[in-house]
Amino acid sequence: MNAIEIRDLSKSFRGMYALDHLNMTVPVGAIYGFIGENGSGKSTTEKLVCGHLVPDEGEIKLFSKAYTDPGVRVRVGALIENAGCFPNSSVWMNLMMQAINLDLENREGEIRRVLKIVRMEDSAKIKFKSCSLGMKQRIGIAMALLGSPALLILDEPINGLDADGMRIMREILVDITKNYGCTVVIASHLLGELEKIATHYGIIRQGKMIQELSAEDMDGRCRIFTSIKTKDMQGAGNILKAKFEDVREEEGYLRVYDVDDTESIVDYLLQNGHVVSEIRKNKVGLEEYYIELMQAKEGK
Amino acid sequence: MEARNELKFVSPSFFSRLKSMLGVDFYRLFHTPLFYIFLIIAAFIPALILGTTAMDNPDGTMAQPLYSNAWNAIAANTPLYTFSDIGEYANMNMVFIFGGIMVSIFIGHDYKSGYVKQLFTTHAKKQDYMISKSITCAFAMSCMCITYLLGSVAGGLFAGSDFSVNVGSLIIAIVSKMIMSLGWASLYTFLNVIFRKYFGVSIASSFLFGTGLPIIAIGMIFGNAAGSFLNIFLYGSSVYACLSSNIVTLIICLIVSALWTAIYNVLGTKLLSKSDVY
Repeated sequence: MNAIEIRDLSKSFRGMYALDHLNMTVPVGAIYGFIGENGSGKSTTEKLVCGHLVPDEGEIKLFSKAYTDPGVRVRVGALIENAGCFPNSSVWMNLMMQAINLDLENREGEIRRVLKIVRMEDSAKIKFKSCSLGMKQRIGIAMALLGSPALLILDEPINGLDADGMRIMREILVDITKNYGCTVVIASHLLGELEKIATHYGIIRQGKMIQELSAEDMDGRCRIFTSIKTKDMQGAGNILKAKFEDVREEEGYLRVYDVDDTESIVDYLLQNGHVVSEIRKNKVGLEEYYIELMQAKEGK
Repeated sequence: MEARNELKFVSPSFFSRLKSMLGVDFYRLFHTPLFYIFLIIAAFIPALILGTTAMDNPDGTMAQPLYSNAWNAIAANTPLYTFSDIGEYANMNMVFIFGGIMVSIFIGHDYKSGYVKQLFTTHAKKQDYMISKSITCAFAMSCMCITYLLGSVAGGLFAGSDFSVNVGSLIIAIVSKMIMSLGWASLYTFLNVIFRKYFGVSIASSFLFGTGLPIIAIGMIFGNAAGSFLNIFLYGSSVYACLSSNIVTLIICLIVSALWTAIYNVLGTKLLSKSDVY
């Protein structure tokens, strides 16, 4: 079963298409990294799934049911743009209102549970407006987690967080997927962070889904390369180019692409009188892959 | 560690959804200062009017009190759709002006804070939102009617006003105005849904309708003779609930309030369903 299935979804604002017949599939239990440049339609898609916007056309299904079905909706949590809390009310009061809205039975226990997950047990009495950005993001996650949601929709949840905040957020997201079986959709510009946790990716451009793939697929598509430093970079470069197909000088290194066996590169250079002073094996990351894909789409 | 989430989806019934939405609204109403501030305002205004207008003039002469009878602070003796002095206008109907502002702030905060996103992300339907807000705000306005009554009594006692009245008519007038609260709350909820992106405009529109100016204008053109026609409007019926009220007044207020409540709730639901939330 898929957590989200979107077919031919379109949405326009004042005649301009924000989404243009978008298709999207998010498997149950996935951490779905939703990637795209500013204005590509990520937030619009999330808002449509959450019922904040009315689609022009198309179909949205959540867990194989219509997305408007209250039975499904009650199991959806979201953090889009901001936590949606009353600034002059305490963290506890904001969470209590959402617990009442969800008609939870053990409200106080449930609030304590989500505060523990986001590591904010001691901050319940603080007014929301007094919280730091990182705390507000975590409160937003806590709100979304109330009532054991089956689907979490998060828009830029790690934006503006410091390194420690990002780590905590990452751990929380992995925890809720692994231990609570929740499906998570995260739209983010921080591809490096996303790469650490996502199991699936969707790449959107100008309101259209241009690629959906699993982390394994992504791994297969990301090229490996070996970075080398020698005393005579130019000479070594010429030697390598004679044997290997794709050799480039990048960022002060000689990079040999698509060769898994680094030993053969070192041996070959030694045989030709070049001593390797530094060697590193790398893989093209999500960010580079995304940039290459975007450039290909732009025809660069 | 809790067990993994099971993928079971049980649809909550309409009443279950409405119960939880009402729960949120009443929790918020009772746990934020807004409601209590307006209760105090509703009590303070009639007490102030009755108390201060009975004081001596600065030159020591006896002031002419605004009301000869304390209960005129609640309603006029007969339905007055137009008025010649402020005393004929300033009565319990002012609660609907205070209520309009309160509803605007109450609903406006839903949108300003972004909390409305939390509501609509989950099982809440647009219809639940309209009904719940109307009921909660009607309750708040009814409470304001009671504090307005208490303020009037206190002000009347302070000013030594006359308290003679037909008790039955007075009770019917007050109960009728409380019933009208539901219609007014629905109107304000509808206006605030229309102007949800413009907080200032929603307050201004609520204030404008709350003053009854559109109905007063019609009344001024056609005179009090247009009374029975004007009773089909919220302000008209609210004016009709006066100190000469009888059971017919109560029935008319009940019908008019229910009718406009239904109209505004249907329109508001349609508007919310067909347009983006924010």
